[in-house]
Amino acid sequence: MVQKIDSQYKEILRQYMQRQSEQNLYDGQNFSRQLIAENTSPEEVISMHKAAMQEMYEDLPDVVWHSFDLLIEMMISYGLALQERESLLQRQEELRVEMDLAANVQETLLKTTTPSLEGLDIGLLSIPARKMNGDYVYFVSDQEGHAGIAVADVIGKGLPAALCMSMVKFGMDSLNNSRARPKDVLDVINRVVEKSIDDSMFVSMFYGSYNAGEATMTYGSAGHEPAILYRAKSETFSELNSKGLLLGVSPAAKYEEHTVHLEQGDLLIMMTDGVTEGRNEEGFIEREVIFELIHQMKDEPAQVIVRHVYDELVRMQNAELSDDFTLVIYKKV
Amino acid sequence: MSNQSSVEIQTEWDIVAARQLGRNVAKELGFGTVDQARITTAISELARNIYLYAGHGKIEIQRLTNNGMKGIMIIAADNGPGISDVRKVMEDGFSTSGGLGAGLPGVKRLMDEFKIDTTQGEGTDIRATKWLR
Amino acid sequence: MELEESNNVLTGIVRGEIDAHTAPVLREKLETYQNEKNLEAVLDLSDVNYMDSTGLGVFVAFYKSINSNGGHVKLKGLSARLKRLFDITGLGDIMDIEAVGKGGK
Repeated sequence: MVQKIDSQYKEILRQYMQRQSEQNLYDGQNFSRQLIAENTSPEEVISMHKAAMQEMYEDLPDVVWHSFDLLIEMMISYGLALQERESLLQRQEELRVEMDLAANVQETLLKTTTPSLEGLDIGLLSIPARKMNGDYVYFVSDQEGHAGIAVADVIGKGLPAALCMSMVKFGMDSLNNSRARPKDVLDVINRVVEKSIDDSMFVSMFYGSYNAGEATMTYGSAGHEPAILYRAKSETFSELNSKGLLLGVSPAAKYEEHTVHLEQGDLLIMMTDGVTEGRNEEGFIEREVIFELIHQMKDEPAQVIVRHVYDELVRMQNAELSDDFTLVIYKKV
Repeated sequence: MSNQSSVEIQTEWDIVAARQLGRNVAKELGFGTVDQARITTAISELARNIYLYAGHGKIEIQRLTNNGMKGIMIIAADNGPGISDVRKVMEDGFSTSGGLGAGLPGVKRLMDEFKIDTTQGEGTDIRATKWLR
Repeated sequence: MELEESNNVLTGIVRGEIDAHTAPVLREKLETYQNEKNLEAVLDLSDVNYMDSTGLGVFVAFYKSINSNGGHVKLKGLSARLKRLFDITGLGDIMDIEAVGKGGK
């Protein structure tokens, strides 16, 4: 095989020496492709060239042969760099496969069931910017029309954020109470997160407890993007502010809670900063733009509104999503 | 000079001496130009590691025969700080010497056999062998 | 970013965008000071035109370690957008921050 390659190369070289045509050079290019496919190192190529030259022009002065030896010596490191690249590419592929598996595990692990509640239409969309999602939506509900929702966002993206999120999920699971009060939930999860994670990793979380019988939402926030209330009657949007520190910063943090009553056609919009922090060349996408998108679709089912906002925001950002995107809309019907 | 089988590594000049020793032995054993270049590059890399990280050590060149096969073994030994995470320095993309960019994974690729023995605080012993085909 | 320390007082100016790409650099620079005792740090963020939650994380980590070593961190020159970020996250209540237009020029 080596013999065959050597003689092939010698033939290409011989023809080139005779004619110097473009066709000869093209043959050379094709041959180099073959060499690469067979993992032939640069030093071997030069060595092959030297041997072919020696056969054809044995009378050349020694300086010519010495020059090739220097070149061979120098090409060793290039050859190593090439092999290293091959091996890194393979590693990258392995990591990609592993990440895919991890993303599947995460999806299964963090799966939540959207509750069905009397008089409430729920729309939900959570799309990760990379493979793993650092945003999280968690529902807990019972048969008597009580449902809790947590919308959380880990500061940071990717794998570390996803691992951190599993912790929040298990914290919520251990509470397992659809009537829990937001300030108590945030308090418990704050202590779970505070104890377990790194100093520069934090979680923001919105927690809302919905009572279908009374059509009221009691909510609290731990440093989370405020929820938005759309009033159908006045066609106005307002922020539902609620004071509270990010989870994981201080064990002493205290959380507020407030209650709103929903009327027919009202929308309660919960999201992560991936929705509000969108940017394109012209600058930030202002909140008013998002309000307008929602307003356009206010008479549609909640899932249609959510999808519309996502599609339009992605379009405005040239099909790029820079942060995990999570949007939940409660629509009183 | 060809009788000398080891070179003390203390200065950068000693790296050249170690290369020269390795090349002479490799040539005598009948290695071709390309393999000579590989062997000396491996020696360079190992000697450089000693010079940069241990400060002082030794490169020894041994001729091997095994069932009629001839080979060369480079032994790089030092009493330096040792390597705390061998797995890491053997990983691609983690270059220690920064010079040739080859590092220990490069040495392993250039040679046929590679063995590393290191204890933190005591030193490192690396043996790399290439057989004549 | 520029950092200068003298007599336990660290003054710094941070410029540009602080996002997932630049935050690690900022973190590394700040980490060299985080174990100093009783450090008074004043960071000027007037020229920060964008900061995402990763950047926020860097400042919080810095604040926590300086505080636990008896020091103090002040962030000044916050734009309206940055100020909102600190307020929403509740960090505005525990950290010493100053928005543009208040206390000075």
